[in-house]
Amino acid sequence: MLWLQVLVNGLALGGLYACIAAGFSLVWGVLNIINILHGSLIVLGGYLAFFAHLQLGISPFLFAPIAGMLLFLPGFAIQRVIISPVMARPVLMTLVLTFGLTLFLDNLMLVAFTADYRKINLQPPLGVLEFGDVVLPLDRLYATGIGLVSVGALWLVLRSTQLGRAIVAVRMDRDAASLMGINVRLTHAIAFGLGTAMAGVAGALLAAIFPISSLSSSGYLGKAFVICVLGGLGSVPGVVLGGFALGVIESYGALAVGPENALTMSFLLLIALLALRPTGLLGRKGFT
Amino acid sequence: MTQPLLQVNDLAVRYGDVQVVWKADLVVEEGAIVAMIGSNGAGKTTLLRAISGMLPPYGGEIIFAGEIVPASAPPEFVRRGLIHVPEGRRLFARLSVWDNLMLGAYLRDDKAAIRQDVERVFALFPRLRERRWQDATTLSGGEQQMCAIGRGLMAAPRLLIIDELSLGLAPRVVDELVDALRKVNAAGTSLLVVEQDVATALEFADHAYIVDRGRTVASGTAAVIAADPAVRTAYLGL
Repeated sequence: MLWLQVLVNGLALGGLYACIAAGFSLVWGVLNIINILHGSLIVLGGYLAFFAHLQLGISPFLFAPIAGMLLFLPGFAIQRVIISPVMARPVLMTLVLTFGLTLFLDNLMLVAFTADYRKINLQPPLGVLEFGDVVLPLDRLYATGIGLVSVGALWLVLRSTQLGRAIVAVRMDRDAASLMGINVRLTHAIAFGLGTAMAGVAGALLAAIFPISSLSSSGYLGKAFVICVLGGLGSVPGVVLGGFALGVIESYGALAVGPENALTMSFLLLIALLALRPTGLLGRKGFT
Repeated sequence: MTQPLLQVNDLAVRYGDVQVVWKADLVVEEGAIVAMIGSNGAGKTTLLRAISGMLPPYGGEIIFAGEIVPASAPPEFVRRGLIHVPEGRRLFARLSVWDNLMLGAYLRDDKAAIRQDVERVFALFPRLRERRWQDATTLSGGEQQMCAIGRGLMAAPRLLIIDELSLGLAPRVVDELVDALRKVNAAGTSLLVVEQDVATALEFADHAYIVDRGRTVASGTAAVIAADPAVRTAYLGL
């Protein structure tokens, strides 16, 4: 029964993990930017949810979509004003730039919120679902469910709206996209904004379950990176697969080698996967 | 006197320090089919890229429907009805034929008219209707060209510019495309076609321009150009 419980623990995080990685994958795929800032934006979303709960009594689950909306505009503006001028430069330039931005935002949050771990205390607690010996905490179920719904919403936008088609078109062929009349720079900014919005949603959901701190951004960035590589870059189904895969791997890893080594194990797995199947589980070779 | 749909005056285009187009003058009358011919590297594609706004001109002007088009990005040209079907089709991978066609109508919001135009494209190229849910880049070469032209038509063009219409396609497919384009032209869309198969081009077009080393060196009705001894030796191998 322990094995089953561990599996449930892993699956209960999968949707949330997919949500953590979705925006990162979108930005990487469409803009060809490895957005180091993503982890800090997740933490910022977490703080927004924390204070919304503390000051206004809004449940983080209800607040998650609001956090997404709140973070869209800053993301749009960051891309338009700061990143856009170096878009044409090699990927290392944008990587360094977003690394700089993440140092800035992390330290800003450190000043504003200190490094203390903070946790949202849901009153009353949501409790657990019990199936025989197997226990499923409801807060995790909600977080993973809302995470999955958010990723699904992103997928729907990309698949069946004119904006989504434009984003995919810009990803596939920027020149041809501009021949359709698509404003490539604007589309880049919107895609980046959607990426930060997803980070906001993920942050709010994380804050509902785990303690947050100004210094925890790199852990989330690492998870997003592993999930993208596991599932294959630039595909929404890949992110979902990668999210659940990481959740289950971490869960069994924690059982096998202790919780403190779980992340190490997922990175070891990442290295093995990169060596054996560099395009990811659902990925394809090449960028187009 | 009616003004031409497209008038290009004294156009020069550079890639950085490399000048590719030196002096291009070109007129496309409303309702005309104009062919641009010339050897590889003559600057035809570069000229087209400048005409559709993908490259800023280094000199000269582009007048479309009586207005000078400011040197800007392609959306400004698309909005005016100047649509470029690029060399190599450049369909969007992972998107269906349907999605590709819809992207052609990106700047339009007249839903009913867009529906009508999709039907028109499917009537013109019935095979696209059969394959509308298929990834566009998995089509055969001829079907891809149909999809690329259809995507151009979805923008409701006044002038459709097609770069390398027949490149890599079987003669039967080329005939099919030419027939379809005649219908498009008869319905009121002007055409500017770059074509490496000079015989086909001169049969298809009313008017032709010869581009050589970055300059438009000769022009005339297709019949006159086809009868020109220099053209016959240089391009038709006669």
